[in-house]
Amino acid sequence: MSGRGGRGGRGGRGGGGFGRGGSRGIAANTVPWNADPDVSIDGKPSELFPPFDVPRATPLTKKEDRQVSCFLLFREQCHDSPLYTEGRTWNTSLHGGKRAYSQDQDNERYGRTSKATVDPFTAVPTYSSQKFVQAKRALPDLGSRPFCKEFFPPELHATLDGEDTPSGPGSKRRRTGPKTLGLSNITSLRTAEELFLADGEHIYQANGEGAGLNKAMQVISSLEKRTEEGEDDGFLSGDEDDWVRGEGEEDAENLDDPDQYDDEASDDDYNAEQYFEDGGSDKEYDEGGGDDGGDYM
Amino acid sequence: MQVTQNVAELCSLLIDELHGELPSRIFRALLSRGRATLPQLCQYTGMSALQLRHGVAVLLQHNLLYYQIDDGHAMYEANAEFAYNLVRTGKILEMIETSFGPPAKDVMQSLLASGQTRVADLVAAYQEKINHLNSAMQQDDDEDFPDLKANGVNGHPHAAKKCDPMVKSTAQLNSIICRLVEAELIDVVHSKTFQSQPDVVKALEKEVTDKHFPGGVKGGRGKIEFQEKMAEALRKVRSESKSLKRKLEQNGTAAKRRKLFAGVAAANGTNGTTNGVHDEELDPALDPKQVIRINYEKCLVDLRNRRLVHFVSETIGDATSHVYGVLLRLLTKQLPRCRLDPSMDVNQDGEAVDAEPKAVTTAQILDNLKTAVDLSLGIGKTAMKEISSKSAEKISEFPPKPKLFIAEAEVDGEASADESDEGSSSDESGYDSDFKNQPASATNGTKVTFADGDDNPWQRMGRPGQLRQHLLLLAESNQHFVRHCGHDEWTVDFEPLMRTLREAELDAVIERTSGRQGLRLVRILRANGKLDEKALMNVALMRKAEVQQKVVQMQKAGFVQIQEVPRDNKSDVKKSFFLWFCDVDKSYIKLADNSYKSMIRCLQVLEVLRQKEKDVLMLTRRTDVKGREKDVMRKEYYDRYSRFQENERKLFAQVMRLDDFIALVRDF
Repeated sequence: MSGRGGRGGRGGRGGGGFGRGGSRGIAANTVPWNADPDVSIDGKPSELFPPFDVPRATPLTKKEDRQVSCFLLFREQCHDSPLYTEGRTWNTSLHGGKRAYSQDQDNERYGRTSKATVDPFTAVPTYSSQKFVQAKRALPDLGSRPFCKEFFPPELHATLDGEDTPSGPGSKRRRTGPKTLGLSNITSLRTAEELFLADGEHIYQANGEGAGLNKAMQVISSLEKRTEEGEDDGFLSGDEDDWVRGEGEEDAENLDDPDQYDDEASDDDYNAEQYFEDGGSDKEYDEGGGDDGGDYM
Repeated sequence: MQVTQNVAELCSLLIDELHGELPSRIFRALLSRGRATLPQLCQYTGMSALQLRHGVAVLLQHNLLYYQIDDGHAMYEANAEFAYNLVRTGKILEMIETSFGPPAKDVMQSLLASGQTRVADLVAAYQEKINHLNSAMQQDDDEDFPDLKANGVNGHPHAAKKCDPMVKSTAQLNSIICRLVEAELIDVVHSKTFQSQPDVVKALEKEVTDKHFPGGVKGGRGKIEFQEKMAEALRKVRSESKSLKRKLEQNGTAAKRRKLFAGVAAANGTNGTTNGVHDEELDPALDPKQVIRINYEKCLVDLRNRRLVHFVSETIGDATSHVYGVLLRLLTKQLPRCRLDPSMDVNQDGEAVDAEPKAVTTAQILDNLKTAVDLSLGIGKTAMKEISSKSAEKISEFPPKPKLFIAEAEVDGEASADESDEGSSSDESGYDSDFKNQPASATNGTKVTFADGDDNPWQRMGRPGQLRQHLLLLAESNQHFVRHCGHDEWTVDFEPLMRTLREAELDAVIERTSGRQGLRLVRILRANGKLDEKALMNVALMRKAEVQQKVVQMQKAGFVQIQEVPRDNKSDVKKSFFLWFCDVDKSYIKLADNSYKSMIRCLQVLEVLRQKEKDVLMLTRRTDVKGREKDVMRKEYYDRYSRFQENERKLFAQVMRLDDFIALVRDF
């Protein structure tokens, strides 16, 4: 409503504006509203911002809240899967708000992030940015999981095997061992608030009892350790009262870890080596993607 | 599903939200340009072939595309239905969690996140996860001071103890999949899954013609025969996806196992594995080669049930809604989809083909009702003698083809034949019945009167009797939630019921947007058909200016339509009649399209918010910040982050509410 009022300010609202401009010169019965004696128009321009009762949505019910949580958790899992491509090439700051009316214009909106558009203040590689910021994948990592190839057209089979790389088949390190479908480790969606409330209470409680000092130490030590290893995604998983966990179940995100962490990770003693032999190869996509898909960076 | 511009945009935004920009761009191009091969897509989108191959593979994996191979080149086509259903993921998962338990939800979530999956792969993946947890648990048992050794140990023992895996063994996984398959929520991917419906029809048409009508289809009789053959063939293709379910049912123990499942479901949440493991062994192992995916059609049936139960709990009461929930669950167990497909489920006379009379007896409901539900609540306490038991226990054997209401007969002589098109007659009755049925139902005695008489028989009445009262209450409600179709047999006529619900929703929307006066005018138009402005004025007893203003406003919103009828050949505008009328279907389409648009706006607002809080969000994605936002981030940053999260939740909730409306109007 207010938007319409804004435009109306220039007299652009059809009848109103017209009536204001030239109503004196028009003979009777030539305009529809003069033909009708019951209709009376006032020549006043419409109010610029007419009072408008903005409807407010009712707060979420418990059920809706659960549904939204389910959706957000599912989204997290989707983003966690090797099929997800996080890279966004739509630079909104350049073309923000512009509508695209044709396919060409639509295409033009994409591929706008390149080396020229990076923010010079944040793009300088630093220790922390290299260590903690995960590289964005420009292409899905199809080779890391099995597919039911009989349901795909033959032209995609090489792609599904992960052999469809810019530098051609065979150049890539062959994956060994059977591929497994990685299940996401994010098993519950928790807002940071919940995490820390629950945890804080937990520690204080433990301390109060006196016996929990050991536990608190454990929490801290594990925290430090995690920070060192840079695999903190486990924090997102967890159940209600403890977040210091999640290393037990190995993160599928480790697939996405940059290569240099592979060594550390494959020291792990559970049976998931193939993840690290196979998985941490996003770099190759990123480097290769520069040839023809230069717009994805 | 009709793909309008808004639907197309919404679908691509949803895919962008869940699966990333690359597939979303391809999907958008496919929706706007129609089916295309990879080189064509290359031309449309300006992306490299490498990107396209990857993007298309992801889309196919998530069942978002159809394809057909022509001369060795695959033609891809967007599957807007599945893309739209992404918005319902949250609802479906929540529904599965409440009716099948958290482990089933976990399985379904994994299945949804990974797309179509071979059973063997899913089992292997879960096996691996379980192994991890077990090994972590093992370490926990071995080490008394795990934190001392923690550097070398990957599985954090403390963690392992806490995180009971959702699915504890592959046997349990198997049983969960069996349950979901039997509930038809999961079906099988087969060779024709990726053919779009028109392609399937075309192929079958050719096949049927070659086989049965080598000389071509001739004459009216031949055409009918041809259509029957086609419907049969189409049904056969459709039932292919249920092969796994059929195999499970062949074991003959389906009913028995299902009973046990109920026990498992109840036990899983609370006590340990012993109970679960015991029962799971009864399940037959699934063929590991089968490829499974979610079946949205059946999910919609279940969502509709929940919607109806919610509606009942709002209009009648909680206890009654529990009864209704059980009734619906029993009734829709074998119901594969909400709406019949006109091309295969309906025969020449417009009747459903395999409509075996479905009914549920009172005893069945009683068996399935949880004992925790207190049935004595929510039913009336009128003395027996004041009840006309004849009208209360009236049995209506047939679906309400004949006129339901007295008012209907007066208004429209052909009301009985008019049931299928959402004509004005039934609308009017819905609005009139508020007044007319009120006194009638009061005599029936099931209206709550809260007379705390000591001599009332209802307290002494046993559980079955109380259950009956609830069912009678449902049967005689204005919305006709239940039909008493035989002695102690109950059924639901979904079509008229959903129509009533839809109209209630539409009326609510009209009232919100155009006020009570507008709603009144719409109801008058529905009752009387097409009306001139003068006649409308007279009937509505409103001033001309008011009527005009309201009607024009509603025409803009799409609730009423106008028709110009010239008085003579010259069709002079001044002399012609202008008739106002109300086309409910058009209003639905218009409203649905508006809702799509609002959903798009919500998602766009979310994107704008993301851009606004870009620096904060970038920070939260760092691996050392993720999950510890409050600790690590500065307060102002954290506040911005939590505000963003709050807004995000609200926006998604709004999208889901809009989807509720669309589901009701379009799918239920």
